[in-house]
Amino acid sequence: MVRPTAEQQKQWNDAGYLVFEKAIQGDDLKRLQDAFDHWSVVCKEDWLNQVEAGESTATFYDIPDPFAKDEIFVDLIDHPSYYGALMTFTDDQLILLGPQVRTVPPWPLSYISWHPDVPFSNPLHIKVQIYVHDVLPESGEFAFVPGSHKLDSGPYPKVKRARSMPGHRTFPGEAGTAIIFNTYGWHTSMDIQTGIARKSIILIYEKSTPNRVSPDRFAAIANYCVTPQRRRLFSLEAYES
Amino acid sequence: MRAKIDSHGHVFARASTEFPREISQLMPEDRQESVEKLLAEMENNRIDQAVLVQTGGANIASHTYLLHCLKSYPQHFLGIGLIPPDTSDCASHMDRLAENSAIIGFRLSALGGPRDPFAPIDVSRFETFPIWKYAAEQDYVLWLYLRAMDAHLIPYLLEEFPQVRVVINHLGICPGRGKFSVDQDGRPQVETPSYNPAFHTTHRLARYENVMIHLSGQYAFGKEAYPYRDLAGWHRSLVGIYSAERLMWATDFPWIFNNPGYGKMTRIIDELLPELSEHEYNQIMGGNAKRFLRFPDCQN
Repeated sequence: MVRPTAEQQKQWNDAGYLVFEKAIQGDDLKRLQDAFDHWSVVCKEDWLNQVEAGESTATFYDIPDPFAKDEIFVDLIDHPSYYGALMTFTDDQLILLGPQVRTVPPWPLSYISWHPDVPFSNPLHIKVQIYVHDVLPESGEFAFVPGSHKLDSGPYPKVKRARSMPGHRTFPGEAGTAIIFNTYGWHTSMDIQTGIARKSIILIYEKSTPNRVSPDRFAAIANYCVTPQRRRLFSLEAYES
Repeated sequence: MRAKIDSHGHVFARASTEFPREISQLMPEDRQESVEKLLAEMENNRIDQAVLVQTGGANIASHTYLLHCLKSYPQHFLGIGLIPPDTSDCASHMDRLAENSAIIGFRLSALGGPRDPFAPIDVSRFETFPIWKYAAEQDYVLWLYLRAMDAHLIPYLLEEFPQVRVVINHLGICPGRGKFSVDQDGRPQVETPSYNPAFHTTHRLARYENVMIHLSGQYAFGKEAYPYRDLAGWHRSLVGIYSAERLMWATDFPWIFNNPGYGKMTRIIDELLPELSEHEYNQIMGGNAKRFLRFPDCQN
C-alpha cells in the first residue's frame, strides 16, 4: 500500500483535496473507458424512459449497478494509486458507500450548485472523482473551495454562477485523473460551455462506524472480495472496534 | 396595506352553449367552480386579487367563461390562456385572446424540443419557438407546467428570450408520464419522488432573472396531509435558491376547496416557511405577483 507523502498529508489537511494525475492509465484506463462507454450506450434508453416518467433528471445519468456490469468498476474502489491515501486519512477504517458512474450532458448551466455533502457531525466522508475521458476547462470539471472543509471556514455565499464562488479552484484534467476530496468542503461541477459531455466516476467513502453499511449491500460481489481488506472495505466484514 | 394575490387558480362554468368547455374526470359536465365562489373565499380570507388560469380547452370558444370573468371583475383578476398544440397561427390565437382583455400570458405543458439531452439543440426548431418569439415581441407572460421530459429544455429558451417573463408552476415540479391521477376529493395527484428531478432542472434556473416559481400545488405532491410538512424542505430550498423576491404563493383553487380548504391554503406559507421576515412574507404573498405580473392597484 502506498501511503501519502508528508507533503500530500499537509495538502489534505490544509486544502481538503489531493489530485492524482494518471491515477488510472494504460490498459486499466482503456478497460475503464471501454466499459464506461459500452454501458452508457446500453443503459441510455432506460434512463430516458425514467426521465420521461419523472423519476430521473435529464441533466445527468448514472449507469445503474456498475459492479454487476464490469469488474473494472470494482477494481477502482481500492486502486493502488489512491487507496493508501484513503486508508491513511480514515485511520485504516475505510468503507465504501457506493459508486456513481456518471455522464453529464451539455447544458447551459451546471446540474448542481455549490454545496458540501455532509455536516461536520458526520464521520469523515470522502469522494474520489475519476475522469474517464479528458475533461477540458468549462466542461463540467470538478471545482472545490480549498480550505472549506474546515470547521471554522465560511460562510460561503449562494452564487448564481459557479464561477462567482470566492476562492474556488477548478480541476480540468486528462483521462485517468483522480481527485480525492473531503466532502465537508464546498464543491460543484462547473458549467459545460464546450458542448462535450463529462464522463466521470464518483466513488463515495466514509470512515467506518458500526452498522453504517449492511453486509448485504455488496454481497453480490463477494466473489471479488477475497482479502480481509476488501471484505472490510465493502462491509462484508466489520472492522474490529 | 399590501395586496395579497393568489397567483394561480381556475374557475369554470357548467359545460353549456354559453360557456363551452371540454369535459374530463376532473371537470365533469355538471361541475362548476364559479368566479363568485372564488371571490367569496378571497373576501373571507382577505385575498385581494388572483390569476385565473384557463382550464377546459385551448380553443377560443373554451375561453368564453374566463374572458367573462376577467371582464366582470377587472380589478380582481388577470388571466392566463391556453394555446392549441396544433394551431398553425399561434400569434393570431394569442392576440385574439389578449386583445381588450386581462389575459396577460399563456400556459404551456410542452416545449417541443428533443427528448434526448445529448441531441444537438437548435431552439428555432422547437415546436413552441414561435410562441416564445411572439411572447417576447408582445410582452406576454409564459406560464410553465411542463412534462418531465421537457424540463431540461427550459434554459435554452431562457437564454434565447431573456425578456420573456416566465412563471414556473407548482414548486417547479414537472410531472412524469403516467403519474397523474385524481383522488377521492376530486383533486389532481402527481406521483412525485421525494428526491425530485426538479432539483437538477427547474431549481437550477435562478440565474435567469426573468423566472418566477410558484409555491403551490402541495396537495398534489405531498405524501402527508395539510400542511404538507414533508414539502417544507423544498420550500426552504427554493427560498435559498431563488430568494423570496422570486417566489409567488398560490392556492390552485378549486382543487383545494374541500381539502384542505381555501382558508388553510392562505396560511400555508406561515406553516411551511415560518422563518420568513415580514417583508419576505409580503413579497411571496402578493408583492412579487403584483410587480412581475403588473396587477392593477386594488381597493383592498
